[in-house]
Amino acid sequence: MRAGPSQEEVRRQNLGALLRYVHVHGATTRTELTSTLGLNRSTIGALTADLAAAGLVREGAPRETGRAGRPSLVVRPESDRVYAYALSIGVDQLRAARVGLGGRLLDQRGMTRPRGLGIVETVPLLAAFVKEMHESVPLDSVYVGGGVAVAGMVRREDGMVRLSPNTGWSDEPVADVLSAQLGWDRPFAVGNVADLSALAEHVRGVAVDSDNLIYVYGDVGIGAGIIAGGRPLSGHGGYGGEVGHMAVNPAGQRCGCGSRGCWESEIGEHALLRAAGRERLSGPDAVLTVVDAAARGDAMAQAAVRQVGDWLGFGVANLVNIFNPDTVIFGGTLRHVYIASAAQVRSRLNAMALAACREHVRLRTPKLGDDAALLGAAELAFEQLLSDPLDAAP
Amino acid sequence: MSATPLLELRGIDKSFGPVQVLRNVDFAVYPGEVTALVGDNGAGKSTLVKCISGIYPTDGGQFFFEGQPVTVNGPRDAAGLGIEVVYQDLALCDNLDIVQNMFLGREKRNGIVLDEATMEQLAGETLAGLSVRTVKSLRQHVSSLSGGQRQTVAIAKAVLWNSKLVILDEPTAALGVAQTAQVLELVRRLADRGLAVVLISHNMNDVFAVSDRIAALYLGRMAAQVKASEINHSQIVELITAGRSGDLGLPPENGAENGAEQAVTVTPGAPQ
Repeated sequence: MRAGPSQEEVRRQNLGALLRYVHVHGATTRTELTSTLGLNRSTIGALTADLAAAGLVREGAPRETGRAGRPSLVVRPESDRVYAYALSIGVDQLRAARVGLGGRLLDQRGMTRPRGLGIVETVPLLAAFVKEMHESVPLDSVYVGGGVAVAGMVRREDGMVRLSPNTGWSDEPVADVLSAQLGWDRPFAVGNVADLSALAEHVRGVAVDSDNLIYVYGDVGIGAGIIAGGRPLSGHGGYGGEVGHMAVNPAGQRCGCGSRGCWESEIGEHALLRAAGRERLSGPDAVLTVVDAAARGDAMAQAAVRQVGDWLGFGVANLVNIFNPDTVIFGGTLRHVYIASAAQVRSRLNAMALAACREHVRLRTPKLGDDAALLGAAELAFEQLLSDPLDAAP
Repeated sequence: MSATPLLELRGIDKSFGPVQVLRNVDFAVYPGEVTALVGDNGAGKSTLVKCISGIYPTDGGQFFFEGQPVTVNGPRDAAGLGIEVVYQDLALCDNLDIVQNMFLGREKRNGIVLDEATMEQLAGETLAGLSVRTVKSLRQHVSSLSGGQRQTVAIAKAVLWNSKLVILDEPTAALGVAQTAQVLELVRRLADRGLAVVLISHNMNDVFAVSDRIAALYLGRMAAQVKASEINHSQIVELITAGRSGDLGLPPENGAENGAEQAVTVTPGAPQ
C-alpha cells in the first residue's frame, strides 16, 4: 500500500499539465487555464511564476479584448528560447530543424537523399545541419533534447532502427551514432516516421479532436501511425503499425520483405508507376506526374490511379474494421493519390467496411504536410520536459 | 453530426417562362459538413444555388434557416443570413490587391477615410485562420496570383463575413494537382471549423474526397441526398445520368408522368 501522491508529485504533475497546455494551444489567458486545468487562480499564478522563473513561459498583457474590465494575463511558451532539434530520415529526404517550445519551426535545413545512401553517410549530413543551425542560436537559448523520425522500424526501448527495407539498413543505432558525431550528452529519441506524423497531426494538426486515428504514410513503403483511445499503439517491441505488410492479395507481386501480395506492393510508389507504364521512374515527383497525367485525361494513368485507389480502399476498409478509427489521414505521396482516387477509395471502403465501423470515419489529408514528421520528432524531444518541467530544464 | 440542418429547402419550384427548371426540390445542408451538389449539365445546380443566394426568386416552396422559416427576397437577405457564394469566375478584380478585393463594396471606414490597417489585419487573420500559407503579401495585386491562390482569396473573402454557409461552384476546375489538393483541403477545413459548405463539382474524386453528403439533381428534381459513407461511385453516376439507382432515386412512375415513358427507367448496365 502506498499513500496518496505527495505534495511534490502533485506540483510536478500540475506544472507539466500547464506547460503542456500552452505548448499545445499557444498563448492562453490565466482565466482559460484556470477553467480548463480545474485549478484555482492562485495555484495557476504560482505555477506560472515557477515556469517563468525557469524560463519556460512568459506572461504578458493580452491584445485588446474590446471588453470591459481588467484583462487576464496571457501565458505564452518561450518559443524563441526553449528549443529542440528535430531530424527526419526519409526515403527521399533528409531534414533537420530547430523547433521552439510550442511547435514553432525556428530554423530548418534539408536535402534530397539519393536512394541507397546508407546510415554511415546520412548521419554526418544531419549532424552537419545541426552544427550549422547551432551556430546561429541566440546565447540565452535553452536546448532540451532532440528527436529523429526514421522511415524504418524502431525498437522502443533504445531507439535502435531495425530492418528498414526501403532505406536498406538493418540494426543501426542511429541515436548513438548521432550523439557521437555531435559530442552531446543529451540523447536523441528515435521514432518511426508514420508514428511521429500521427502524433504531430494529433497534437496540432488535422486530428486534434480525434482520439482514434490512423495516419497512413506512403512513399515506396507504406506504414501507419495508430493512436487508439488517445494513446499511440506501438505493440510489444515498438514495431506495430506496419500496415504496408498486411497481406491483401495472395496473387500479387513479391514484396521487398520476402512475402507476396503485401498492401505496399499494391499501393506503394512502385505499384502506381508500374500500372502507369512508367516503371523506369521513381520518387515522389514521378508519383505526382502520374496523378497529374490522370487529371489531364491520360487513359493509362487514370486506370493506374483507379486501380491503386481501389486497393487503397481495400486496405483502409480492413483497418477501419479492426480499429474503428474516427479519422484516417493519408500522408506522404498518398495525399495526392487519395485525392485523385477518392471515388474508388470511398466506394471500396463503403462496400467492405462494416456500417457501424465506418459510419463516423473521416478521411483526411494532413494539415501539417511534410512538416508532420519533424514536428512529431520535436514532440518526442519535448516529452521529457513536459512530464517534469523543472527537473528537465537545465 | 448535427441533427438540425442549417439550411433546409422544401418543395422548391422555379420556372423560366414555360420551362420548369426546378421541380419540388428538397435540399438540406448541415453545419460542419460538406454537401456535394452533383448533376449533369442543365440539371439545375446553378439555378438552385441562385435561388439559395437570392438572385432568383422562387415560384414555390419553403426556406428554413436554423430551423426557422425565412424568406429570401434578394442577395442582401441571403448575405444577412450568412450565406456566401464563390462563383466559378470568382468575381475578383485583377487591378486591386488582396485586401481591397476581400473588402470590395463592404470597406471598413474610420470617419470618412478607409480603415486600411484594420482591413489588412482582418484579411491577414482570416487567411491565417484558414492556415493559408501560399500567399506572400496581402498587398499583392490579384493579377499576379496563380489560379489556386485566386480561389483561396475568393474563399477567404466568403469566410470573412462570419458566414455560416459557403457555396462553392466548381472550385477546382482548371487547377493543377497540387493546387487542387490545397483548395480541397481548404474546403474541408471550412466545414471542420463548423461552417456548412455546399460544393458543386463534376469531378467525382473531388466529391468523394471531401464530402459528407452528396445530393444529386436530375432534370430539375432531387434524385437523392445520401451520406458519402453509404453510396458508391457507380450509384452516383447512375443517379446523375438516370435519376435512379436500385432503390435510390426517383421512382419510375414520375418518369412516365413526365412524358419520358421508358427513357427514365433505362439504366446503364453498370453493377449496383
